[in-house]
Amino acid sequence: MTTATLSRWNRFRESFLWYSFKRDKVAIASFIVLLLMVFAAVFAPLFAPTNPYDLAQIDIMNSELPPVGMPGADAAFPLGTDAQGRDMLSTILYGTRVSLLIGFGAVVLQAALGILFGLLAGYLGGRVDSILMRIADVQLSFSTLMVAIIVGAVFKASFGNLMFGEIAIYMLIFIIGVAEWPQIARTVRASVLAEKKKEYVDAAKVMGYRTNRIMFRHILPNTLSPIFVIATVQIANAIISEAALSFLGLGMPETQPSLGSLIKSGFDYIQSGSWWITLIPGLVLVVLVLVINLLGDWLRDVMNPRLYKG
Amino acid sequence: MKNHTPLLEVKNLDVRFAVRGGDLTALRGISFSLDKGERLGLVGESGAGKSVAAFSILNLIARPGYIAGGQILLEGKDLAAMSERELRKIRGNRIAMIFQDPMMTLNPVLSIGTQMVEAIKAHRRISTKAARDIALDRLRKVQIPSPEKRLDQYPHELSGGMRQRVIIAIALLLDPEIIVADEPTTALDVTIQAEIMALLLELCEQENVALMLITHDLGVVSQVTQRMLVMYSGRIIEQGPTREIINDAQHPYTQGLINALPQMGEPGARLFQIPGSMPSLKNVPTGCPFHPRCDFATDQCRQTMPEYVRSGNVDVACYEVSNLIEQEKRMQEAGS
Amino acid sequence: MFVISVIAFAIQDGLGDPLQEMVGMSVSMEEREALREELGLNDPMVVQYLRFAGKAIQGDLGNSYFYGKPTLTVIAEHLPATLELVIGASLIIMLLSVPIGVYAAIRPQAWLAKFFMGVSTVGISIPVFLTAIVLIQIYSIGITVEWFPADTGWGQWLNGALSTEGGMPSYGRGDDLTHLFGTWYSGFFTELGLMHLVLPCVSLASIMLPLFIRLIRAEMMEVLQSDYIRYARAKGLSSARINFLHALKNTMLPVITVGGVQVGVMVAYTILTETVFQWPGVGLMFLEAITRSDIPLIVAYLMVVGLIFVITNTLVDLVYGLVNPTVKLTGKKA
Repeated sequence: MTTATLSRWNRFRESFLWYSFKRDKVAIASFIVLLLMVFAAVFAPLFAPTNPYDLAQIDIMNSELPPVGMPGADAAFPLGTDAQGRDMLSTILYGTRVSLLIGFGAVVLQAALGILFGLLAGYLGGRVDSILMRIADVQLSFSTLMVAIIVGAVFKASFGNLMFGEIAIYMLIFIIGVAEWPQIARTVRASVLAEKKKEYVDAAKVMGYRTNRIMFRHILPNTLSPIFVIATVQIANAIISEAALSFLGLGMPETQPSLGSLIKSGFDYIQSGSWWITLIPGLVLVVLVLVINLLGDWLRDVMNPRLYKG
Repeated sequence: MKNHTPLLEVKNLDVRFAVRGGDLTALRGISFSLDKGERLGLVGESGAGKSVAAFSILNLIARPGYIAGGQILLEGKDLAAMSERELRKIRGNRIAMIFQDPMMTLNPVLSIGTQMVEAIKAHRRISTKAARDIALDRLRKVQIPSPEKRLDQYPHELSGGMRQRVIIAIALLLDPEIIVADEPTTALDVTIQAEIMALLLELCEQENVALMLITHDLGVVSQVTQRMLVMYSGRIIEQGPTREIINDAQHPYTQGLINALPQMGEPGARLFQIPGSMPSLKNVPTGCPFHPRCDFATDQCRQTMPEYVRSGNVDVACYEVSNLIEQEKRMQEAGS
Repeated sequence: MFVISVIAFAIQDGLGDPLQEMVGMSVSMEEREALREELGLNDPMVVQYLRFAGKAIQGDLGNSYFYGKPTLTVIAEHLPATLELVIGASLIIMLLSVPIGVYAAIRPQAWLAKFFMGVSTVGISIPVFLTAIVLIQIYSIGITVEWFPADTGWGQWLNGALSTEGGMPSYGRGDDLTHLFGTWYSGFFTELGLMHLVLPCVSLASIMLPLFIRLIRAEMMEVLQSDYIRYARAKGLSSARINFLHALKNTMLPVITVGGVQVGVMVAYTILTETVFQWPGVGLMFLEAITRSDIPLIVAYLMVVGLIFVITNTLVDLVYGLVNPTVKLTGKKA
């Protein structure tokens, strides 16, 4: 067991992936920043000075305090406070957590849908293919964000504000996952079509394996690297989509804010000069999305799969 | 023959490709000349550097390739040292090129007329009307049916053979002195190949244009050209009058090439094959690059590149040949 | 031309059919909700849908609950504002993306090209509403920087250089609009109207611009590798003619197609931009309709957006046909 993992580790260290990672300073820096942010977000309850979900810890008298370094700042709140008197640092840590959770969750969902439909469309072809890809095309031409907004609006209208707020995380994962699956499905389909022509698939057919087994055990592993690349970029997209939905009031409620809803709540106060409520979470969001995108770019260059764009 | 300045003279040309981990040498010490109205053949396997040689004549090697040394003299002026501006005046004007694949050569979104007129107007200050007349005249020369109609058509509306005719017409637009044709018939149907080749030969003779024909088809070279070069792994290994080389090749590689041709009248006979394949640019062997595939290879061949020796009117780079010549000389001396 | 119209029809059919389905679905859900709350009707979904579709064909998409007017009238009142926003942003995108993309493709090693590519990578990662907020902060509210000591010359200079005045309008379209026709009041013809357009248009353009720059650069670099570009050089053409006629025309083909798809994305982003700038267009109207549960208006908006997609797709096909001779040929033959 240990020797097995050890040899895997050695194989990884000798791999091209590791080699090019070591040479790419941007990739290393992005990875470190992302790691720090994920770490801080996951262990937010340990780091955050206060718990923003706990109403007892909030004092309305502390509202709209600026961050340290500005006149009128309070050292207890290094990044200032929002309009309800919540500590910005704590809210941002918890908000990043929510954003990341939704981002990963949505990508897991869309990867599941995308891989399933992409494999079916690519391997079975024919009518299944044309129906699935037609749906994907229509959805893509509407733009995934538009679909997410519409679905979000419909859900919100049908569930009502209160109930929507309670299950918002799951709803957002569902909405973004459903809205974005065509991206992954098209990539999977393209690589399945390329793999299908290769001899090993014929060999598997000749040996009499069932279609399911050929699809998932033989073809799927060979399409993983493009899926991996596009999934990375999709996490960034999902986080942006979530922020956009929240900003429109179709996402996380302010009582349980994500980065997007923090930006939204801060925007209402920007005219009164409290720029930090909206711009600091905005900066965090941009850095988070940027490092994921940079890692995605790097992965794409290294693995160089044929990706469908747009 | 060597008393006058040739039209084009290439001297010791080196072309390299700058890639990660050092330069790759694509052409090494290439030297040849081309007289007015002469037809020169350039043969070799794919990857021998024929196309690179063709493009380097117009100084048109795609990056990361570059000319690392040597001269390309057009009536004494060095194209390798010229500015892009001066080069532009020569390209298409004094030296025209015909590319390999007529499907890829013409711009798909511009009409034939546009692509012909722009070539004229890049070099001559004349009206579009006059340029169109020239274009029409050349299209007639290449025997395209209903040439007036072609000017307003787009490349995809013509067949492969027609397109190559258009490209020959474009090459003739400005009455060039040299046409460099890089495998002009390889991408065409076999039936059309002969037609196009005959047309090109006829026009070159008629207009007294020098032709540099790059091909891997020894048959075509023997029919069309007066002199030929044989390239292997970025070097010229044999050059001289075509008939002499075809009838009595000196270099073992050229002999192999000729023996590999199917012979008429011997149905069912096995074709000769040169064993092995040409080395890639990344690991060219020391000494003579052909030695790993050569039956006559000696330690000398493995260590140093042979110099050119003259046998009849043919220059050849091979120790086997030079040793034979010396042997003959000694025997003659001993005999007399 | 005939074939183009057939293609357009096929696209319309392809887009239109699932569109109907989707709208139909939301109609039934919305209306079920609405029925329970207000009207109490209990018709089966199919009947309702048929009635809706029948009315829709006659241009009747019901009355808005909130405005008390026919929904299409409400949309017609809001549409010009959105269209002007989109037109302004498209102009910015077209005027900037082509030269920058082409430049970055021709000189990929130049530091300016690398700078543009770096900025566009960062630009892709910034959500449109955040760009808008930052723009408001800088150009509308203004920032005062007092980090550097004001008693030294350089400190004062740095403070001044980093501070902005603000004052750009960031709310609505201004009062000085010119009446063009019908419900179209334009902000293009007065200084105040144009000032109001600047920030929203820049925000909307900011998200698409990096995308187009990257796309144009990638396509152009591929085209520059092709044989016909090398051949054009062998003909002795000037590099300006090669780059801007031979290469650019081929580059634009895929860009036009992708650009058409991006119109859909643009519609989604108008919702965000209009929200930030309180721009009285259809996007803001749609969002308000959602919060007010103004179901007929939501449905009408979706129908209109679908129609806009069909129209733009047809337009894109037409433009593509104009640029690409291959398409024109099939049109002639048929």
